[in-house]
This record gives sequence, C-alpha cells and structure tokens, in this order.
Amino acid sequence: MTSLLSQVANGALTGLLYALVAMSFVIIYRSARVFNFAQGEIVVVGAFLVWTLMSAFDLPVWAAVPLALLASVLLGVLIERVILRSLVGEELFAFVMVTIGLLIFIRGVVLVAWGPEVRFFPAVLPMAAVKVGALVFDRAMVIGGALTLVVAAAMSWFFNRTQLGLEMTAVAEDHQTALSLGIPVTRSIAVAWGISGLLSTVAAIIFLNGKGMTFLASDIGFAALPVALLAGLESIGGVVLGGLIVGIALGLASYFLDPIFNGGVAAVFPFVIMVIVLLIRPTGLFGWKTIERI
Amino acid sequence: MTLPGGVHAETYAQDRALIRTPWQWLWFAAFVAVLLLLPFLRPGGAVGIATVIGITLIAVLGLQLTSGCAGQINMGQSAFMGVGAYAAGALAVHLHWSFLMTIPIGGISAAVFGAVFGLAALRIKGFYLALTTIAAQYIFTFAMLKLPKEWFGQSEGLRMDPAVLGSFAFDTDNRIYYLVLAFAALMTYGAWGLMRSRTGRAFIAVRDNDNAAEVIGINVFYYKTLAFFIGAFYAGVAGALWAYYVRYVQADQFTLWLSVWYVGMLIVGGMGSILGAIVGTVVIRLLQELITVVGPQITDLLPTLGGQFVFAAMNMLLGGLIIVFVIFEPRGLVHRWNIVKESYRIWPFPH
Repeated sequence: MTSLLSQVANGALTGLLYALVAMSFVIIYRSARVFNFAQGEIVVVGAFLVWTLMSAFDLPVWAAVPLALLASVLLGVLIERVILRSLVGEELFAFVMVTIGLLIFIRGVVLVAWGPEVRFFPAVLPMAAVKVGALVFDRAMVIGGALTLVVAAAMSWFFNRTQLGLEMTAVAEDHQTALSLGIPVTRSIAVAWGISGLLSTVAAIIFLNGKGMTFLASDIGFAALPVALLAGLESIGGVVLGGLIVGIALGLASYFLDPIFNGGVAAVFPFVIMVIVLLIRPTGLFGWKTIERI
Repeated sequence: MTLPGGVHAETYAQDRALIRTPWQWLWFAAFVAVLLLLPFLRPGGAVGIATVIGITLIAVLGLQLTSGCAGQINMGQSAFMGVGAYAAGALAVHLHWSFLMTIPIGGISAAVFGAVFGLAALRIKGFYLALTTIAAQYIFTFAMLKLPKEWFGQSEGLRMDPAVLGSFAFDTDNRIYYLVLAFAALMTYGAWGLMRSRTGRAFIAVRDNDNAAEVIGINVFYYKTLAFFIGAFYAGVAGALWAYYVRYVQADQFTLWLSVWYVGMLIVGGMGSILGAIVGTVVIRLLQELITVVGPQITDLLPTLGGQFVFAAMNMLLGGLIIVFVIFEPRGLVHRWNIVKESYRIWPFPH
C-alpha cells in the first residue's frame, strides 16, 4: 500500500516537473502561435550553461545560477531576433519546419561545444531526501513542484491581468490582426522566448540536480509533450492540472502495468492518454476553441 | 508550366505525356542508363550509397504525399517504416514467404497503422496533429519491444535471410541495388501519377483549406485518411526493403530523429512536389556521405574537435540548411530549378 502511495506521490511530482517544461511550450504558443519543437534542446543548453559556470569556471551557486538564467533569456531573445522575426505572419507550416531545423541545429551545437560525454550536474539544490511518514521524496523535485505552482500562478496573472500579457495573448490570436491594432508582434515573441528560456533552465536545474547528464537529457522535451497537449496549448493553469493527471496516471501505470509488461510503461502511457483525450477534445482539456472561417 | 517554344499538344495523349520532347527523352534515357550501369561504372561504395538513397527516397516520397501534398504534418514516418520492416521481417522469418508477398504486405500493415492517425486528423489539426503523430513513435517502440518474443524477437530483433526469387538470391550489394532501384522507380512513377490524378488534386485542395474543400464537395475525412494510408504505405515498403538490405530488424533503427531528418529532406527539396522529394533526399544523403568522408580528415587536422565532430557537424549543417531554406526559400531547391528552367526555355527572350 505504501509502495502504491509512494509511486503515485512521486508520479505527481514528476508530473509537476513536466508541467514546468510544458509551460515553456505553452508560453511560446500562447504569445507567438509557434510550437517550439526545440524546447528539449534549450533545456539541455540551460543545463550545460549551469554546468560550465559551476564546474569549469568554479563559480559559486549564487553567481552561476543567475548568470545561467540570464544567458538562457538572451538565447531565447537571440532566437527570436535571428530566426522568428523574419517569419511573422507566415503559415503554421513554416514555424513547424523552422523549429525542427532549430532542434537539429542546437543538438549539433551542443555536441560541438560540450561533446557526448556524461557530465555530473552540480548539486544546486540540497540533496537530502524529504520524508513524510513512510514516503520518501527527492528534495529537488519537491522544491520544483512548489516552484511550478508559484510560476503557474504568476504566469496566469501576467497573461490575464497585465497590459503586456494581454497584448501577447492578442498576438497568439493572429499575427496580422495584432499588427493592425498596433501591437508590437516581435516584442511579444521576444518576451515569450525569453521567459521560456528562463523556465527551461529552471527545469533543467530541478531535473538534473546532482545527477549525471548527456545531451540526451533533451528527451524531457518530448516527455513533457503529452502534458502540454492534454491541457491544451493555450492554458497555463491547465498545464498544472495536466501535469498532475499525467504524473498520477504514470504512478498508477507503473504500479499496476509494469509487472505485466516488464517495465517501460512510463515512456508510452502519457502518449496513450494524450491521444485518447485529443480524440474526444481536439484542443485539449482547456485549449481555446477556434472558429474557422473560409 | 511553359513548354519549350514550338511544342504544342495536339491530342489528349500528347497533353498527358510525361516526356514530351526529344531532348527530354535523351536526358531521361541517359539518366536511366546511368542508374542501371552504376554498379559497373562505380563499383563499391557508390552502390551502397545509391541503395540507401533509394530506400530513403521511397519513405520521403510517402511523407511528401502526406505532408507536402495533403498538408497533414507527419512526424511518425520512421515508425511507419518500422512497422513495414517488422511485418515483412516476421512473415519472411516465420512463414518463409517470398519478398514479392512480404514487401506489399509490409506496406499495407504500415498503411493501416498510419491510417489510424489519419482518422484522428479529421478532428485534430495543425500543431496538435503534428504532435499526435509523435505518439506513433513511442507506441511503435513500446509495442515492438513488448510483444511476444516469438513474433518480433523483442530487443534481439529479427535476423533475415536475403530475398530470393526462384534460385536467384539478392545477397550482394549489386543485386539488392537493382531490387531497390526497381521498387524506387515503381513508387516514384506511382507518386507522380497520383499527383496528376483526381486524388492528388483533392489532396492539394485539402491542404490549401480543408473547410473550403469540404464545401466544394471533397470528402475531407476520406482524403485525409487516404493521405496517411498512402504515405504510410510508402514508408512500409521502404522499411521492408531496408529489412532485406541490412537483413536485420530492430526497433532502435527507427527513431524519431530519423523522422525529423525526413522532414528536413522535404524542406530542402521543396514541399508539395515529387521532384522536390527526390532532390531533397539525394542532396541531403550526399551531404551526409560527404561529411562522413571529409569529417575524419578534418578531425585529423584539428584533433581537439574529437570524433563526435562529424555527427555534430552533420546536425549543424542540416539544421542550418532547414532554417535558411524556411526563411529565404520556403519552396525549396526545386523552386529555384523551376525558375532556371523557365528562363532557359524562353531564352533569349525576356518573357
């Protein structure tokens, strides 16, 4: 019984971590109408930035983490400036293709700059386990879960209550309409990519704290995909709920199904839930329903 | 498309012809001759490269039909290819069926798996659909590694015997090259014909605006499912040929990364055109080969870069190419080629 409870609780925490990565998808989507396939690679770049600053340059945590966060914001803004600015108002297909190109390109850059070796990610957050009764949790994941909730609340407020946030929402509706209303589309996209770069690095720190990592850590981008789609690509609060649903389902699946399939259910189960939910609600649980005109 | 000066169709048969002028016949004959004589002209490595290009071409053609022509973004092409490879492999290993049976059945198995995602495409659109097809990849890998060992060998995969026709075995590089060449020619001809048919035009209508297509009487549900069915059929045939080429089938050969490369080949070649799929596949594959050859030499000159440099450089090059093409030439290399062709056909007149 404890083992089931522990699987579910740890699953929920994993789900919240996925929600944090999914949130960086959602922020870009709901303020730029771009789905960033390269998100996982940006997480890896953030992770390597922290690693370089702390292990190679020997900076203390209080200096290295803010610097890495700043660098990842700049990376996001740079991507907007170099690539996306020339694509404002283009078709959906162009954005799919350009972010796929970015995915391949950043993977190459990461391999050239940092190589394929296994690195040990420094312990930015305390490593001691958290014990609640008989349940044991990874402390970084607990902090990460709490952080996800705080960030989600802050982002919902930002997008629903501030002038800038509302303008960015208008950009997501339609680039051309937003432009004709005098909203600076490129600024909106730049802010979104900046925030998303920041969140990616935070997610990397929580995910990899004190563990070994390679460039393959980018798989978290695809692992977080079902969470983003389940919730709907426009809803920030929905992402948290989506993360919890996927996480708890994961915990239950690995408890009940892993003995039948000899493990491995965790990788595929979120995608199965996602496909089923999308067939019933094609824009996810909380996505915007768009009316299409000819 | 303009024809060279003085060429007019006088009968329907002429109007429908694919090859219209003596020069076109000459170039086409030369091209076919080079393909047929390749093992004699350049034995060794070139034949292997050409075989891989042929197999890749079939998969990319399928992706072109689904994504480029019918507008349904598909990131699961490599999983569909894997389904074809496993289906053909299992039939050949367990039931000892001839490749003449297993390759089409491999294609149809992949097509049925792909059509499931086509059914979803009626309701799920745009980004949601592109991401749903990624689920195909995860479901495929999981299923192949977990289904009973007697079927697909789980993590050990399937070991295949060479394809046999009567007493003739396709067991050398040259022989398998001709097999792949025959299939690639057949599938290219099929794709070309499809795009000139009612079905191809319906695909384009659905791509350009599916609501408008529905209003003018095109059965959108049917054509979206069909687009996935045909695209996945191509992938399945490619997978089955791959199984006979490397004679080993394993889930790790069919990764999401491969699907991403296929999309990249389409973008560089040109979306929505059969010639684009051919050009993109050949150009990217040759670039890959070039880097594999030149890479080690660069690593020798600059040892600090390390052995992984080759793989990394390949990624940077393709990623960079895709980004540059989307921004500066979204219609791909084939669009450039068409501009050049138009201008030399009417030369020396300006228009």
